[in-house]
Amino acid sequence: MSSLLVISLAAAAVFAIAALGELLEQRAGILNVGLEGVMLLSGTFGFIAAKTSGSYLQGFTVALLTGALVGLLHGFFSITLGSNQVVNGMAIWILGFGLTTYIGYPYTGPLGLKPFPTVAGLPMFFLVALALAIAIWFLLFKTHLGLKLRSVGENPSVAEASGISVTGLRYLAAILAGMLVGLGGAVYSLVYNPVWNYNYLQGWGFIALALVFFSLWNPFLVVAGAVFFGILWQLSLYPELLFPNVFSRYIWRAMPFVITIVVFIVLSTRWFRLRWGATKPEALGLAYQREN
Amino acid sequence: MRAVIGDYTIRVERRADLRWWHTTLASVLAIVVSLFLVGFAFLRVGADPLEVYSEIVKYAFLSEFGLPQTINRATFVLLAAFALIVPLRAGLWNIGMPGQIYAATLAAFGVAYAFGAKRSVNVQLPGELIIPLMFLAALAAGAVYGAIAGFLRGRFQVNEIVTTMMLNWAMLWIVAHMIREGGPFMGRTAEGEGFTLPTSLRLPQILGVPLTVYIALALAVLLTWFLAKTTLGYRIRTYGESPRAAEYAGIDATRISTLVFALGGLLAGLAGYHYFAAVPGVFKIPKNYADFGDFSFYGLITGLIARNNPIAAIPVAVLFGGVSGGARFMQGKLRLAFGIDYALLGVLMIMMVAFQALAHYSVRVERQAAVPRPQLELERGESRVESPRH
Repeated sequence: MSSLLVISLAAAAVFAIAALGELLEQRAGILNVGLEGVMLLSGTFGFIAAKTSGSYLQGFTVALLTGALVGLLHGFFSITLGSNQVVNGMAIWILGFGLTTYIGYPYTGPLGLKPFPTVAGLPMFFLVALALAIAIWFLLFKTHLGLKLRSVGENPSVAEASGISVTGLRYLAAILAGMLVGLGGAVYSLVYNPVWNYNYLQGWGFIALALVFFSLWNPFLVVAGAVFFGILWQLSLYPELLFPNVFSRYIWRAMPFVITIVVFIVLSTRWFRLRWGATKPEALGLAYQREN
Repeated sequence: MRAVIGDYTIRVERRADLRWWHTTLASVLAIVVSLFLVGFAFLRVGADPLEVYSEIVKYAFLSEFGLPQTINRATFVLLAAFALIVPLRAGLWNIGMPGQIYAATLAAFGVAYAFGAKRSVNVQLPGELIIPLMFLAALAAGAVYGAIAGFLRGRFQVNEIVTTMMLNWAMLWIVAHMIREGGPFMGRTAEGEGFTLPTSLRLPQILGVPLTVYIALALAVLLTWFLAKTTLGYRIRTYGESPRAAEYAGIDATRISTLVFALGGLLAGLAGYHYFAAVPGVFKIPKNYADFGDFSFYGLITGLIARNNPIAAIPVAVLFGGVSGGARFMQGKLRLAFGIDYALLGVLMIMMVAFQALAHYSVRVERQAAVPRPQLELERGESRVESPRH
């Protein structure tokens, strides 16, 4: 049972790190629905780098760089060109899915490195996720930079009028977020489940996206939600533990997706939707054009 | 933005009005640039990209075997594009085509199964009764599976992008349960495949292509009319423009979003019926059905490139149906890694977004008008010393 908890926390780290990245940029008003694509690109390139070089460090470095580049690309579309952010996110997702399917295919199979080390029996990246949550909370709510980031996400024209560079801060948020989301993808492909397969991520990027919506943009609730989903997924992958021989193993594979939807329905109470509307960054998903 | 290089000024400005030829040009450029970029994959294995593309065109549009395949793939892509377009007119994103396609396919094969179609390929069954039933079951299952996401969006504000994605994966595994490891639809001989549809239950063909191809073409006209000319279509568009305004006008959000997703699911369901129960040479749920599900994402980019216009989607779908099939063919011939058509899909998508965004900008190069340089002239009467008249 304790090993189940450990693997659940490893899964939670994937959800949490990716969702924290998304939270950071959404607080600055940028919506990236293509987390799945960023995670696939970073995860696959990181996997290829780690597999060919035999070093985790190189894998994670490549993943972070890829994430930063994709974040920059999404930023360029959403900030400089100012086109519809949902469409941009879709494009990032399809780009990630399409490119990694082709590029990753020759590397299908296990990573072949010795398992990633744990810290005191806990998955290291879960601790990283916790530290990141604290750091992002501190950044957003206790520093001047965080105040500026949030003001850019709430009301960019007022922020601009008070001398803040909306474009600069949004780019910063997009690139940082890309790196974090990419790290999440690499944690999946290098640590949690180090086997490359066609479309291996199974929509986890979309679950991370939903986690941000349901966290009311609070980093600690993101981690709590990530732990919940981590446990949920592991339970449904090892159903024998709870319900031996009830369904075929394929039905059990479908279960976490169904339960995920049910959880979203249960969470979406009237009370929650009111709170949601109140906390949502006012300018989320809206392009900002500076008046000259 | 302005940049000055020598005598020339380059001016980049946001267009106030976007004309149709701007977006058309953007789409064409996106396709051309994407094909160019994917050409590097062919170059890497030592093939001449131009030659490869001409072979793709020859195979996909001119060969006896490739052309029907292109038409069938294009129909699949076109119907998947409709499944995106209808909800997108209401401002909602349906990326649940794979799930809706699988749901419909299971329903169609479920009807056949109920009539004992699994017994043998040669079993004689009343096709004129069962084929319409299979067809309707497919549409209904697609519609119901699609409507789930729409209802949740309208009633509980659950993000439809996330829901449809989860529904895709759930249905993917349900299909696996049905066709693998002794599942009810498992074929009699082949492991991991569905049973083959008896010859008596196959959709009739006209001029060498299944009936569904003509249905899809008719639907393009029908959908255009429905979205542009009917009250319901008007309501859908109003909701898409501004959900809040629509609500003030008495349009029920839950009803509209459920309806558009049901319609989208129905259209995706038709795509599923078309490919698995009507296309010659398939007539079963194949082992790599997941691959076909993801192929429906070509519908996503087709709908976006056609800018939500069902009729404009036809040529785009034909192009993508042909190029993706041809690329698969060349991939085998050149021994490329799996998924060159997906790589093209990814590149197309990002290029499409880039060029559609760039279409909003105008670039003008102006030659700088020769500004007269201020010449040093002495004003008359200024100079006192040098004048000889003094």
